[in-house]
Amino acid sequence: MNKRKRQRVAAVLIIIPFLVYFSVPLYNITNPAIGGLPFFYWFQILMLPITAILLFKAAKLIDG
Amino acid sequence: MLVDILGIIIFLVLFVAFVFLGFYGSRWRKGNLNNITEWGIAGRRLGPYLSWFLIGADVFTAYTFVAVPSLAYASGSIAFYAVPYVAIVFGIAMLTMPRLWQVSRNKGYITASDFIKGRFNSRFLSIVIALTAVVAILPYIALQIVGMQSVLTVMLYGTANAATVSEIALIISFIILAAFTFTSGLRGVTLGSIFKDILIFLTVIVIVVAVLTSYGGFTSAFANIAKLKGSAALPYSTLPAASVPAFFTLFLGSALALYLYPHIINGSLASNNKKTLRKSLSVLPIYSIGLALLALFGIIIYAVPSALAIVKSTGNGLLTVPALIVTVLPGWLAGICLLGVFIGGMVPAALMAIAAANLLSRNVFKEFKPKMSGKDETRLAKWLSAIIKFIALAFVFVAPLTYAIQLQLLGGIIILQLLPAVFLGLYMRKLDWKSLSLGWAAGLISGIGLVMFANNFGALVTSDVKTGIGLLYIGLVALAVNIIISVVGSYIIEAVGARRKGIIKESELVRDINVKTEVS
Repeated sequence: MNKRKRQRVAAVLIIIPFLVYFSVPLYNITNPAIGGLPFFYWFQILMLPITAILLFKAAKLIDG
Repeated sequence: MLVDILGIIIFLVLFVAFVFLGFYGSRWRKGNLNNITEWGIAGRRLGPYLSWFLIGADVFTAYTFVAVPSLAYASGSIAFYAVPYVAIVFGIAMLTMPRLWQVSRNKGYITASDFIKGRFNSRFLSIVIALTAVVAILPYIALQIVGMQSVLTVMLYGTANAATVSEIALIISFIILAAFTFTSGLRGVTLGSIFKDILIFLTVIVIVVAVLTSYGGFTSAFANIAKLKGSAALPYSTLPAASVPAFFTLFLGSALALYLYPHIINGSLASNNKKTLRKSLSVLPIYSIGLALLALFGIIIYAVPSALAIVKSTGNGLLTVPALIVTVLPGWLAGICLLGVFIGGMVPAALMAIAAANLLSRNVFKEFKPKMSGKDETRLAKWLSAIIKFIALAFVFVAPLTYAIQLQLLGGIIILQLLPAVFLGLYMRKLDWKSLSLGWAAGLISGIGLVMFANNFGALVTSDVKTGIGLLYIGLVALAVNIIISVVGSYIIEAVGARRKGIIKESELVRDINVKTEVS
């Protein structure tokens, strides 16, 4: 990939967590719950390591 | 007493170890600490791991450890705005901080105001931005102290003279903190932040494991909430439809605001290079998992009747985390965890004071006394960092607890008004200082006006305003006003040919240009 293309893919990777967290109705539900914890809570927590992976990939793409 | 003698001894021993690290900082990676780059941003020499810990310590403060769980305890799901906030904030940081780092490296800048001065060639805007940031950060420092107080309150629960002992302990802690910040600057605080982070992570893990294994976990917590609150229990499992706009604007507004705070920018500029910074920022959402679990403490506490009793008897939700620590854990472990939360307030307070002092010394005092030498500038910053800490401490002692929280709420709205100059300024060449100043003023006036209006001109309890589409975070509304005036105004000024050009070249924002070795 050339530099410009890498930057464009990186931008998409950075934007994904924004889009997911912006879609509040998507995760503002109780079920499926895990160990009594509603989906609303555990889904947002689960998205944190996923966000880190996406951002890390983006950083790698930008800096090579 | 809720903590046994062993717990208190361990608390004190670890506190001494923390203080030792703080002073040891001056010898570590030795630099000339009479130079503000060395004292104030550790000589721009922090590698990926240290940057990660330092920025983590910047972002996750006693306020997050204490106030977010408290909000979850009182209101349930809305408090979880903190989670998307600390996820997307690092995306925003990755888009802005590496650019700011690059131009700062090229030009020898150490504050956002330095950048504003060069970018828009305006001393006025630079001074205004510096003062705005200092005003916004003061209540933030005060809240760190409120967090430390909550630990002492629980430790001293039920003893005679608890309030006096707590005040004396805070004063002693702050004298020590001021002394080591004075001697070792950002280096000392960085070492302290690693120590603090380890203890905080330990706290989170042991409490979650203990509650899940021996208190019936979330099932019993939610069952208790239903029993205690009846129909009011609903907002604890999901957001009520009416709260969704508030949740959304609150997390977006907070995320946009964070990287405008001087201590966060300060921490970012301390990285040794742009790639290091970008990599550290990208993995910080891992750190946020700890914060999310801490926010859940506000729910978990409903599964632990003895902890709930402490919070209820004092009527102080800020005690949620320390109350869980002392009731769920054995004394020695409680001592370790309480110290984690305690220095979890001290470390950010020191970082904030350093950053505010850099701004005041360099971007305000020096502007009026341009002949000041680098050494004098650094000496002034050191003294100011101490003075700022004690002003915040005095404020906490004098004003009622609720004032600090109310002012912090205003602080977020105020700091957001820096966004057009700093973030848009990093990308848009054609902004002009005149429209940015006007936008800043309009943002502040509309923000503060709306807060007063939303609270019916009485005590500040909310930062949301009712609109046609539901409750919205005022900071974001005021920011929209500010952005429109800043951008549209700049285009008009450009069209009539009245724009003042900055002294930063576009290339200086993206790559190394003739970097001079920094004086050390």
